Amino acid sequence: MTDERTAYTLQQVTESIRKTLSARYTSSFWVKAEMNKLNHYPHSGHCYPELVEKKDGKVVAQLRANLWKADYERIDAVFRSQLNEALRDGIHIFFLARIQFDSVHGLSLRILDIDPTYTLGELEREKRETIERLKKEQFFHQNKHLKLPLLPQRIAVISVETSKGYADFMKVIRQNPWGYAFFTMLFPALLQGDKATDSILQQLERISRVQQHFDVVALIRGGGGDVGLSCYNNYPLARRLACFPLPVLTGIGHSTNETVAEMVAYHNAITPTELGDFLLQHFHNVAIPVKEAGKCLAVTPFRIIRTARQELVSTSRNVQGIIRHHLQRQHGGLQLTTQHFSHTVNLFLYGQGASLHQHLHRLKIHAISSTRYQHEEVQRMKGILMQQGPSCLRRHTEQLAYYENSARLLDPANVIKRGYSITYCQGKLVRTLSDVRPEARLETRVSDGIIISKIQKNA
Amino acid sequence: MPDMTEKISYTEAFEELQHIITEIEQGEISVDELSLKVKRAAELIKICKNKLHTTEEDVTRILSELEANEPEEDENDI
Repeated sequence: MTDERTAYTLQQVTESIRKTLSARYTSSFWVKAEMNKLNHYPHSGHCYPELVEKKDGKVVAQLRANLWKADYERIDAVFRSQLNEALRDGIHIFFLARIQFDSVHGLSLRILDIDPTYTLGELEREKRETIERLKKEQFFHQNKHLKLPLLPQRIAVISVETSKGYADFMKVIRQNPWGYAFFTMLFPALLQGDKATDSILQQLERISRVQQHFDVVALIRGGGGDVGLSCYNNYPLARRLACFPLPVLTGIGHSTNETVAEMVAYHNAITPTELGDFLLQHFHNVAIPVKEAGKCLAVTPFRIIRTARQELVSTSRNVQGIIRHHLQRQHGGLQLTTQHFSHTVNLFLYGQGASLHQHLHRLKIHAISSTRYQHEEVQRMKGILMQQGPSCLRRHTEQLAYYENSARLLDPANVIKRGYSITYCQGKLVRTLSDVRPEARLETRVSDGIIISKIQKNA
Repeated sequence: MPDMTEKISYTEAFEELQHIITEIEQGEISVDELSLKVKRAAELIKICKNKLHTTEEDVTRILSELEANEPEEDENDI
């Protein structure tokens, strides 16, 4: 079995494709596509853009392209001057192209020219859509509704350390002649071009993790010209700024239309210097009343005390007057009362005097009659006494002599003389047998001495 | 110095001060209270001025706090 199949070399195939394509696509044509990646190689200066078409978020067509150095530089310059935007990833372009086929590199579109007005329209559309979506989702005014602290003192700065805008801002707040103290911390980010969005979002994420240390976020750019600001119309970035938990202040510094980021920010100060002034103004707003309070404190309390003292003096005068008046009135009343009292007392005393006189008279009569009665009674008693006194005295004298004799006969000494004796046993009088004990010593008193004896037991 | 140890936010200090000053200016204050209020106002002015001219934040501390929960550096981060 012989092999009748014709074998082509790979180059023959690619050459065939190239010939077919060049015969079919004789001229250049306009194409609409999204430039997903620009793929600019700075060394060679050429670009190899990645073109896609999406439907409902899905890629439905994809093709590589070439943009040679000379074409790139020319088109980029036009973009920068007309759109304030460099050629970059993620923009929609309307371009003049030609089909190319290379045996080694394959199929591609060579971009000859790009119409800036189409891209401008697309950028405007993107901006408009971002605004509409944020409004619809009610995020648009969210940051503006936050409360700016009375003293926006601690600032998370998103900027580039070496940029003029950052330097301007720092100079304004650091060298303020009032000595207001600010705390700033730089969160470095790219602030323009296609990488700015991710870079800023990343720093916002970092700030949110230490947000309790800050009062505000300041997004500061400046000195970089007006090119590459369309990132600030990007939906994810604008949304993050609008929904950020701290008030966002922008000082992006450009002369073109306001970007969505600036629209949703708490305050857009246009330039970094104005942003610094805005913060200083807030310090003034509270520093001035404090200063005024100090002035007020140096004057008003003294005034209050002076007024109080004056009031006291005038009140004291009033009180003196009132007291004097009152005393006078009381004095007058007292005189009247005294007169009245004196009159009443006189009347009373007169009445009492008359009554007393009557009593005295009655007493006198009563005393005389009583004295007379008592005198008569004494005389009567005297008569009785004179009559019965002597016989009564004699009767009492006789009775007394009788008692005296009886007492003399009953005297123990006289009794003993008549033959009686008194016996004691151990100092106690012996009256009965129970008063003595055998062997006891007895003392018997007789008229002329004492007999000592001892009791013997009777056999 | 009581104002140095007192933990009061600028807003609180400022609002209290404004209140006292209004009371004093409008003569709503009795002579009895005056001395105490003036003393308090002087303290508040000191607090406010101090806060206007100094900050207590520290970059090193914030950085270490950031590093402590940096998700890129700690994959086991919750």
